[in-house]
Amino acid sequence: MKKNNSEYRLEMTGISKSFGVVSVLEHVNLKVKPGEIHALLGENGAGKSTLVKILSGVHQKDSGKVVLDGEEISPKNTHDGQVLGISVVFQELSLVNDLSVAENIYLHKLGSSKFWMNWKQITKDAQELIDSLGFEIDASARVRDLSIVQKQVVEIAKALSEDTKVLVLDEPTTVFDPTDTKKLFDNLFKLKAKGISIIYISHHLDEIFKIADSITVLRDGVDTGSMAVADTNTDGVIRLMIGRELKDLYPTRDVKIGEVPVLEVKNLTAKETLVHDVSFSVRPGEVLGIAGLGGSGRTEMAKLIFGAHKKKSGTLILNGKEIKTKTPVCAVGHQIGFVSEDRKEDGVFLPLSIRRNISVTNFSGISGKLGFINVDNEYKNVLDLIEKLNIKTPSSEVDVKNLSGGNQQKVALAKWLSIDSKVVFIDEPTRGVDVGAKIEIYNLINEVAKKGVGVVVISSDMPEIMGVSDRILVMHEGTFYGELTKEEFSEENILRYSIGERLKQVV
Amino acid sequence: MALTLKQQLSSPGGLLKFLVKHNTIFIFVLLVIFSALISDVFFTSVNLSNLLKQVSGIGIVSIGMLIVILTGGIDLSVGSMVALLAVTFAILVNVFILPVAILLTLVIGFGLGSVSGYLVAYQKMAPFVATLALMTIARGLGFIYSKGSPVTFKTPGGAFMSNFANNSTLGIPNIAIVFFLIVILAMVMLRYNVFGRLVIAIGSNEEASRLSGIKVNKYKFLVYAISGALAATAAIIVASRTNLGSPNMGMAWELDAIAAVVIGGASLNGGKGTAINTLMGVLILGLIGNILNLLNVPSYPQQVVKGAIIIFAVLLQRFDSK
Repeated sequence: MKKNNSEYRLEMTGISKSFGVVSVLEHVNLKVKPGEIHALLGENGAGKSTLVKILSGVHQKDSGKVVLDGEEISPKNTHDGQVLGISVVFQELSLVNDLSVAENIYLHKLGSSKFWMNWKQITKDAQELIDSLGFEIDASARVRDLSIVQKQVVEIAKALSEDTKVLVLDEPTTVFDPTDTKKLFDNLFKLKAKGISIIYISHHLDEIFKIADSITVLRDGVDTGSMAVADTNTDGVIRLMIGRELKDLYPTRDVKIGEVPVLEVKNLTAKETLVHDVSFSVRPGEVLGIAGLGGSGRTEMAKLIFGAHKKKSGTLILNGKEIKTKTPVCAVGHQIGFVSEDRKEDGVFLPLSIRRNISVTNFSGISGKLGFINVDNEYKNVLDLIEKLNIKTPSSEVDVKNLSGGNQQKVALAKWLSIDSKVVFIDEPTRGVDVGAKIEIYNLINEVAKKGVGVVVISSDMPEIMGVSDRILVMHEGTFYGELTKEEFSEENILRYSIGERLKQVV
Repeated sequence: MALTLKQQLSSPGGLLKFLVKHNTIFIFVLLVIFSALISDVFFTSVNLSNLLKQVSGIGIVSIGMLIVILTGGIDLSVGSMVALLAVTFAILVNVFILPVAILLTLVIGFGLGSVSGYLVAYQKMAPFVATLALMTIARGLGFIYSKGSPVTFKTPGGAFMSNFANNSTLGIPNIAIVFFLIVILAMVMLRYNVFGRLVIAIGSNEEASRLSGIKVNKYKFLVYAISGALAATAAIIVASRTNLGSPNMGMAWELDAIAAVVIGGASLNGGKGTAINTLMGVLILGLIGNILNLLNVPSYPQQVVKGAIIIFAVLLQRFDSK
């Protein structure tokens, strides 16, 4: 900060960028002061990630100016960016699975260091860094063995191992539960106090209003304005983001919930995970929310029922008849669906077209005896679903990898809508999905429920789970600790059960 | 995105994009033109039918390889399987009547492929390792059963096959017709049948396939078994051409088959590749050998050129994905 006359640490002015004929950013400005948390908002595809990638050197700008501490910079790659003091925690985890936590944290330094590495020292430094963040992770553990939450923490620690001037966090809390999120925020405040500038990208507006000092909103590659947080509110920001008024984030559902449960689970215990003695039932047309902290076993419970994990004991009763789901094939045979939380990893087929993605669960509906596909029926079915789910795409033949997160999620859901499911488990239905697409997904959940399907929604997003559920079960350490009826919904109640405070027995 | 051919060609830089997208066919056509210009023997029916006869066996094996590679696997055993199965067929045709000999050879091929399939799908062995083991075993068995020397056809059934394999129908060699029929069958199965869809789905994301309720193990097992049956088909064809089964047949065919599939734009990670492009890959490899032979280039420089073509073809595919 030698000759910096400006009050800003970082000034990006008139940034434009296009890929081929598609213009992603047009004359975007972003100005961040030292010791400020600056929220960067916008729907998926608005250009947030591209802007950050230009800042960090992943992409090169077509025009515009980036000034850091009074000096114009144009990093050619992420290494340049790091040397300049720009650290980014990307949405996609970029850790090497087979290396230890410590090795990952100091990976970028390996190239420039002396020939011999002092692993003991490095592991010690890494451990101190993680401890200082307030998380419990063994620095010598292999990254492969960590939970997704722990991986995210390592990713953040990695970004902080530099002499960071500007720290960029792209959706850092999507995998975090409220306790972890709070820890992260405490850390951010500490960094802020040290004078580090933080650019924070998130879809969680409540987070933004908790921590950010100022906001810049992008819409379709144009910045629609910067403002201090004090000068605006959620509605104002949403209006800037989607360019229209937002009536109701959680659309109301007009469904008559059946009396007889469609699925009953009794004393289910897993062989290989922490899930034990799980009992619950879901009725046709009901949306049952499953809350709990990350690592409490919610996903494992769903995968257990779905046959993706091995069971030790317990019974499943579907429409009054006992069923066995040893493998996902059995579960699908019994018309149970499962939408994975990790869309890219195991939810959709990224390199395949929308059509191929949607058809994959539904060949019996579109093919004849010898397995030959009736292409006309297939197109009809797929185009119907694309229209119904409002998947934004020029055609059914576009590869899913080219869709935005929200549209990918709709494809993942469409797979299970094209067959007549009786029960659908949806794990984190809107993770990394923008506000506009969120509403559409909620509408979709409502529509599924309306068809008499029992819907089980797992979510770490408190407002979401309270907004969509008829009833909430809270999981703690592999079993249910409490049940909340609609009248009892509150963040406090959910949190209490989540941390194992038993208020009343599950019936 | 769903542009018609005409739109694609008329848009700016459209022709280039079109060529890059269909680069395998493009390279093939270039090679044909080049070959025709450089040698006046090339476009003779004798040469072309020789070319087709040469590639048919390896081409059939390549289709099996493609199906395995689509699931993200690999089958290194195909070359040795051709040797073992050619010997097997020669022995069988001297004992049983022709249809039985053919059927038994196919069944044995399917069975041997099933062994790889079982190891990969149900024992979770790495495809490279499982089929590497099968490759050694099959080659060894070939030598054991033939006692190290070729087994000649001695029966009328054998004579019939030899006659069939060396003759043509409507100017097209019979064995090439068999190859083309297999390509068409593979094309149809991969495009319009659930089998192909699931194979591609498994190759593009195995875990997502499992969570979609696909019988992943069953299909992974099946592709190796099918590859084995296709190796048997190829073995019958090459044995019939020469009127004998030799344990030295099919040397390094697995590598040529992988090369053909890769030149055809398939991804070794699985999930990407088509039968028609693999056909092009096979023909490109065959053409290179053919034209270099016509130019009297010795076989060692030929290998260098082949390698260079593989690199060039794969580099060209890079542009497509950008």
